[in-house]
Amino acid sequence: MSSRQTVSAVDLGDAVVIRDEDRENPVAVRFDHVRKTYKLYKNDRQRLLASFSNHVRYDTINASDDLSFECRRGEALAFLGDNGAGKSTALKMITGVCFPTSGTIEVHGRVSALLELSAGFDMRLSGMENIQMRCQLWGLSDEEASEIIPGIVEFSELGKYIDQPMRTYSSGMRARLGFAFASSIRPDILVVDEALSVGDRKFSAKCRKRVQSIIEKENVTVLFVTHSTAQAQQFCTRGIVLSHGKTLFSGDIEEAVSFYEST
Amino acid sequence: MLSTLKQILSDNWQWRHQIWDLAKMDLVKTYRGAALGKVWLFTKPAVYILVYWFTLSVGMRHSSDVNGQPFLLWLAAGVFPWFFMSDAINRGSDVYHRYSYLVNRIKFPLSVISTFYTLSIMIIFACTMLFTIVVCLLTGVHLSRYLLQLPLVMLVMFVFWVAWSIMLSPLSAVSKDFANLIKTLSMPFFWLSGILFQLDALPPIGQKIMAFNPVAWCVEAVRDCFVYKQWFWQRPDELIPFLIVFAVVVLLAVRNYRRLHKEVPDVL
Repeated sequence: MSSRQTVSAVDLGDAVVIRDEDRENPVAVRFDHVRKTYKLYKNDRQRLLASFSNHVRYDTINASDDLSFECRRGEALAFLGDNGAGKSTALKMITGVCFPTSGTIEVHGRVSALLELSAGFDMRLSGMENIQMRCQLWGLSDEEASEIIPGIVEFSELGKYIDQPMRTYSSGMRARLGFAFASSIRPDILVVDEALSVGDRKFSAKCRKRVQSIIEKENVTVLFVTHSTAQAQQFCTRGIVLSHGKTLFSGDIEEAVSFYEST
Repeated sequence: MLSTLKQILSDNWQWRHQIWDLAKMDLVKTYRGAALGKVWLFTKPAVYILVYWFTLSVGMRHSSDVNGQPFLLWLAAGVFPWFFMSDAINRGSDVYHRYSYLVNRIKFPLSVISTFYTLSIMIIFACTMLFTIVVCLLTGVHLSRYLLQLPLVMLVMFVFWVAWSIMLSPLSAVSKDFANLIKTLSMPFFWLSGILFQLDALPPIGQKIMAFNPVAWCVEAVRDCFVYKQWFWQRPDELIPFLIVFAVVVLLAVRNYRRLHKEVPDVL
């Protein structure tokens, strides 16, 4: 996420993750036979023991199982699927906060993400301090930050609350600030995981306009997870239906929604 | 192993600007005592020092000058570094829970969390050291050229406790029991490391064992600057065991990081 970071190909045993900031690449995200295995231990003690010995028994579950798809630059892609289909895991791997067990992931461009209703804010800091800190982490200079911060505050509609500690915010307020930040820092790829389901209809409409405008003006690629097929149809042009970590269907959003609703 | 070490070092180098900002932000968070704010930074150490001083000198009548320097200075040169190390042991060994949003919401290198947290408590430590020096100057306590080694001692301490944090934080993230175990160890560290008594009082075998205690070494090194008036490398009997412990901690840090850094986001 640092602005200086350019190409990195991390070899994680069987898995390969390729990340660069090549925003001209026609492919934004590509998954090739990606598997993510979570290790399930009986309890925390077993997990601790496993960090010293290789002989501790554990169960496994594949959150993503042989998952392959491609997302082209400037597309708005929706992931559809029931709970446990592996949607959030896929987004986390794109963001880079979790690692695949095997397979190849390519991400071309800088990712800004809203994962599981939160953009990674510190509850003890105020909204403004959080925004400033995140601008630094994103690698913006003070001038660049002070340029975009007023826009973020305005979009989030927090008003005077912006200087209050984040823990006093409602979930809607957090989501608004999170979306405002994530969409304002000029990412190449915007990842949104259910964050919009807590906002009201007015805010949802505002987000939709913002998403459309950044796709058109800044050629941003959007990846979107939602349970609401209506929302998916409003935001996205393409859809992927996941089930048990596998791709069941990939194509136009209308077809994807009707496929998902028929299963 | 070597590639993991290189990874840790290059991550820290790449994020060096943000490390400073995040350390400052951690201080803002810790000392946001509303109106009083920064006053708390000094109140807690001052109260502790006074209580220890009262107990030792008034209660136990044990307060003779040490190496010609006032007993209170000897005490401060032990208790202030202890505050730093107590935070490093209690919180530094479990930083991923403290900063879980940097682990599983943002792509952020895990080892850097240890660095900026340790830096933030180091800033407080530096302030207390500065405070000690100013008080010495005001009260006419003689400070020697051996004080010049203080920045080096602090740098060694910084690197050691960063490595300590990288070594233990992945284990604490995986198991809450482990985090509690380390916190429980902090009290024995305090009473056994010669912070409130002089280590010479121990029998020879005790001194040999204590040479492998990093807390004891750090405290003695700071006292070298203010009280004992010697260079810390003039005590090889204590320096060499400390360097051995240092090397082991670095090795284990790299090993644990390599083995667990991919698993930490999954379990937090």
